[in-house]
Amino acid sequence: MFHHFIIVHASDQANHASTSESCASVALPSTSFLESRIRDASGRFRALPLPIPLPERETSHLQRFHASGRLRNIYMESVKAKFKGSMNDRGTPGILKIMKGKLIFEPDDLNSDSKHEVQSQDIESRQYTKEGSLPLFRLINIQKRRHIYEFENHKSLNAFRDLITKAFTICEEEPKKKSAVLTSAEQLSVADSELRVKLLSENRVLTEDEFWATRKELLGKDSIRKKKQQVGLKSLMVSGIKPSTDGQSNRVTFNITPEIILQIFSEKPAVRQAFINYVPSKMTEKDFWTKYFRAEYLHSTKNAAVASAEAAEDELLAVLLKPDEIAAQEIRRKVRRFDDMVANQADDYSHIMWDGIRDVVEPKNYQFRRSLAQDINRHSATVLEGRIIDVETEDSRTVAEALTLAKQEKKDVNQERLKDLQERQNFSLKPLSIKEPRDYFESQQVNVLNEHRGAKESNISLHEAYRLLQESISEVRSRGLNDPLTKPQVSLEVISELNRMVSTNKNNTTGNSPSDSVLDKLPKSMKDEYLHQWTSIQELLRHYWSCYPITTTYLSTKVGKLKEAMSKTYSQLETMKELVQSDLRHEFSLLVRPVQKALDAVFEHYEADLQRRITKSHEGKIL
Amino acid sequence: MIFKIEDVTVYFPYDNIYPEQYEYMVELKRALDAKGHCLLEMPTGTGKTIALLSLITSYRLSRPDSPIKLVYCTRTVHEMEKTLAELKLLHDYQVRHLGAQAKILAIGLSSRKNLCVNPKVVAAENRDSVDAACRKRTASWVRALSAENPNIELCNFFENYEKAAENALLPPGVYTLEDLRGFGKNRGWCPYFLARHMVQFANVIVYSYQYLLDPKVAGIISKELQKESVIVFDEAHNIDNVCIEALSVSVRRVTLEGANRNLNKIRQEIDRFKATDAGRLRAEYNRLVEGLALRGDISGGDQWLANPALPHDILKEAVPGNIRRAEHFVHVLRRLLQYLGGRLDTENVEKESPVSFVSSLNSQAGIEQKTLKFCYDRLHSLMLTLEITDTDEFLPIQTVCDFATLVGTYARGFSIIIEPYDERMPHIPDPILHLSCHDASLAIKPVFDRFQSVVITSGTLSPIDLYPRLLSFNPVVSRSFKMSMTRDCICPMVLTRGSDQLPVSTKFDMRSDPGVVRNYGKLLVEMVSIVPDGVVCFFVSYSYMDSIIATWKETGILDEITHQKLVFFETQDVVETTLALDNYRRACDCGRGAVFFSVARGKVAEGIDFDRHYGRLVIMYGVPFQYTLSKILLARLEYLRDTFQIKEGDFLNFDALRQAAQCVGRVIRSKADYGMMIFADKRYSRHDKRSKLPGWILSHLRDANLNLSTDMAIHIAREFLRKMAQPYDKTGGSVGKKTLLTQEDLEKMAESGVQDMVY
Repeated sequence: MFHHFIIVHASDQANHASTSESCASVALPSTSFLESRIRDASGRFRALPLPIPLPERETSHLQRFHASGRLRNIYMESVKAKFKGSMNDRGTPGILKIMKGKLIFEPDDLNSDSKHEVQSQDIESRQYTKEGSLPLFRLINIQKRRHIYEFENHKSLNAFRDLITKAFTICEEEPKKKSAVLTSAEQLSVADSELRVKLLSENRVLTEDEFWATRKELLGKDSIRKKKQQVGLKSLMVSGIKPSTDGQSNRVTFNITPEIILQIFSEKPAVRQAFINYVPSKMTEKDFWTKYFRAEYLHSTKNAAVASAEAAEDELLAVLLKPDEIAAQEIRRKVRRFDDMVANQADDYSHIMWDGIRDVVEPKNYQFRRSLAQDINRHSATVLEGRIIDVETEDSRTVAEALTLAKQEKKDVNQERLKDLQERQNFSLKPLSIKEPRDYFESQQVNVLNEHRGAKESNISLHEAYRLLQESISEVRSRGLNDPLTKPQVSLEVISELNRMVSTNKNNTTGNSPSDSVLDKLPKSMKDEYLHQWTSIQELLRHYWSCYPITTTYLSTKVGKLKEAMSKTYSQLETMKELVQSDLRHEFSLLVRPVQKALDAVFEHYEADLQRRITKSHEGKIL
Repeated sequence: MIFKIEDVTVYFPYDNIYPEQYEYMVELKRALDAKGHCLLEMPTGTGKTIALLSLITSYRLSRPDSPIKLVYCTRTVHEMEKTLAELKLLHDYQVRHLGAQAKILAIGLSSRKNLCVNPKVVAAENRDSVDAACRKRTASWVRALSAENPNIELCNFFENYEKAAENALLPPGVYTLEDLRGFGKNRGWCPYFLARHMVQFANVIVYSYQYLLDPKVAGIISKELQKESVIVFDEAHNIDNVCIEALSVSVRRVTLEGANRNLNKIRQEIDRFKATDAGRLRAEYNRLVEGLALRGDISGGDQWLANPALPHDILKEAVPGNIRRAEHFVHVLRRLLQYLGGRLDTENVEKESPVSFVSSLNSQAGIEQKTLKFCYDRLHSLMLTLEITDTDEFLPIQTVCDFATLVGTYARGFSIIIEPYDERMPHIPDPILHLSCHDASLAIKPVFDRFQSVVITSGTLSPIDLYPRLLSFNPVVSRSFKMSMTRDCICPMVLTRGSDQLPVSTKFDMRSDPGVVRNYGKLLVEMVSIVPDGVVCFFVSYSYMDSIIATWKETGILDEITHQKLVFFETQDVVETTLALDNYRRACDCGRGAVFFSVARGKVAEGIDFDRHYGRLVIMYGVPFQYTLSKILLARLEYLRDTFQIKEGDFLNFDALRQAAQCVGRVIRSKADYGMMIFADKRYSRHDKRSKLPGWILSHLRDANLNLSTDMAIHIAREFLRKMAQPYDKTGGSVGKKTLLTQEDLEKMAESGVQDMVY
């Protein structure tokens, strides 16, 4: 039997869900849990190690696992209360326990037969007395029977009340959430789920959510498929952004989201350039957008004189009001090929003599007029291009710079005929979307190990690093890469070793090979034991490595727990090795070796890390 | 396939032929036999070009002792390229079957800007500066000077070409502009001059209309074409406008100012020459006395533009005495400029005939008519004498001299119109003096007279009997063909009202009615949601398009359209329009769909095809009349009424409808293609307008589709699209009448007579 306390953080959402385990009685074959750690609202944890094992009939409706003979410990909330059959009854003292789905009363006096339990779905109503009178709690169930419990004081009554409401309401809510998670995980093999149950219930090492966290990809399958298609830009025009006004004052308010900003920057390179130039050096972002909308308004009034007057005063307005030079340049660059209409202009002699259709003569302020047609052309072209950057950031400046960079790179490539639809360019800004957390964490792991090894060196400054890099580059340049990256003998050894391992492992572990595998030769119980150990070790390893780098105390305790569990399994493996028949011992030890190696690595790493942290904390203390 | 039409063996490079192509070839052969002109209308998408080319080349092959040259005139460079591509195919086919005797030389010809391979020259901005840059390097005096002065830059390609002299020949084959450039680069010869030289030897020449119709250009390029040539004007529905433009001149204040500057420069040059090389001017004087200026020892390369008047109208006399000396000539020009400036200062619109203009010019400025006639030649000769190479800078004075020459030469068929300002903007003074030609036949008459057979063909030549009157010629064959179709692949509709039953039109008084604008908008919104891929909309003018789009934007209709499809516009800037077109095509390709807004008389309507999925629906908003208040148009209408008895209304309707038909015909380029056409104006339902649409559109315009409202149109459109998406049998053999003939069919037909070929 294990006694184990789990420290709960008030802010830890995961544990909130853990209270729901008590209610996971949703009809799934083998996946419900026994745990019921209940935490009351104030975060106090009331856990009492239960001295009395639960009698058999109580557990009949609960899951039965393969007969390992171990008992499960159940945590529950229990309060001292007196049960009164009616109002006038003096009451039998006992303990009132809230468990998943029901309420159990056990009298102190074991001989009394007032022990009973009430299912939560049978409870029709719960009533409490107010301050001033006796602290009573009354249950009325469907069959109209009443149970009255008297508490010691109102405080405990209130605490109990909170507890019970929480427990029972969560009971109703949680099944849905849990079933969502679990239905998607139905693809889990039965064995896997059994493992889960084993691990978590027996060792009390991991919480369920931790378990699921590493299997998030099962949940994420659908969403990953959807992510492959990129969402394009909206085809609503940016000049269609309408402000909101409050009827009283003369102010209009524009709401701009990062999406709109991205679209404005894609469509109007002049605005983008002005943004980079002016913000944040000369004005704030808010001022910039205010001026931008003022310029838009001036355009819409089509009053060229006013526009030129305002532009003369404010330089940013002047920049924003002028026709978009950068866009025009881009257009000209794109159309620098032998083109039909341009060629026609070259061939057409008629314009020497005749002016053609005479159109409106341009007034002096032409430079402050843009045509709607050009805007719409530009907008449609931008929407057609789609998103050329994938940055999901709120910062407008980053977006602006990213777009400029993207357009520049695109310009160089775009020399060929436009008709080829070009491949998407991979720009320097990689999106940060972690689909597989393990990859990320394992990469972090590598960093930690490296860091650990190199912890002796002091911090090198940036210049130093640059100088070293330069030196190494010049060295390489002068010498060339003479030494191979790895020594050939070493690589040969490694490859042959691996090949050997591969073939032997194949022989040993596949049940399908005609030759006997080691596992088959073992007695069944041993084989099962070994497989069980193996799978649990895999799981523990996964969790262990994902803990690093350790940032919170939660992680550090988790690490500690995991290490303990792993050392236990290690010792178990050792004992198993002893128990195996002598003729099989060698093969078995070969089988077990990789697992042991992994565990050794874990221990080493743990020790080293612990040492490091101790020294660090010592240093900290000294300082 | 190879078949016979009477005595000519026709080599046709495809295995099947449409019945109307066959008919077309038969008619064409008859016209060639008769050595006369013909007028043929055949709808777009029926392989007109290949039918023409194959028949005429086969005709030439069948009569080897009297070889005829084919001169094929197109409107745009793009069409030129397409024609040459088809010709390549045909040429390969013929060579395969006949061997070496079928080899021909076919070239395309264009301006220097499109043919030059010298990178420094071709980098100049526009056509005129390229010409000037070329001339700087190739003029005869420049080359003479460079022999002494090695710093003067010459064009290597031209030098090599000159050195090769008679050996500079193109081997037989079909050369597009790109092929010519490539050949020139390989051999190091100048493609432009080479092509010009090869015009005499080529069997097939493809170039633009102006090279034959505009006297200034034709006088250089096409003066050596022999009589036994067949001239083909393709897409010639606007040929009368081209002829008129070739002979019209406009003079503005900026032109006069520029001309003054040019004269100052000429004056300086004259003084300089007087000081250094007076002998040259004297030699010129003597030449002029002997009347050699017109023929002169001007080498082909130096001449850049010829006399604007038609060849037979140029007087073959000596230049009159008062302008023989250079300074006198400059004086005369100054007086002319002063007079013109004075005329431009008027406050009212004035209109007069050339005769009265010349007489008033005589009385006020003392310039006689004969002097005016020689202005151009004199200027030309002077500029050559003074060795001026920056011809692009001297354009204004050239314009003025062209004006003077034309005014002096012609008495009929022209008017001079002086407008102090544009009617649409009365506050901005912008005086302009037009010399506008009204008679289209003037420019094309020499072509008809000079060459044996002229073929005028297009998809929209309706009404066909108007053309002989306008161009004043007598065709021996005049025929209009219909398209034979296995399924009705076009669906024209006339939409006269909106869903609220209000009539819609772009009539001037109804144009700005908000109800009309909204109905037009709703039409587009609904159509855009049911038609896949590309939709093209044509408006009657840029200003109308701008105003309606602005209104649509304010009322949110444009946003609704943008929800469904992206929107692109044609603007007056060529570069931007090109980019918009390219993006439009990309949007249609990728499935996003797009709408293209264009103008009925713009560049897109003339040259760009919207076939297949690029154009599934075309909407013609309104009737594209010309600006009816323009004085030039009014003068022309008056002339037509007086001379040809053509009513003004008829002519305006004719002009508007041929433009509309041209726009609408952009969506069908082959028989497998399909598309819908909506004529959105209530005036289209009237007979006088409707009857002017070409036959192949009218035959599909059912009476039920004549007076539609928006919802009815949507219903019809939906059904049509669904029907068109079904698979069908291309040959139509099962239905009864055949629309795709094989060789056996033709042989059977030839035996039983052509009358059986009914479709």
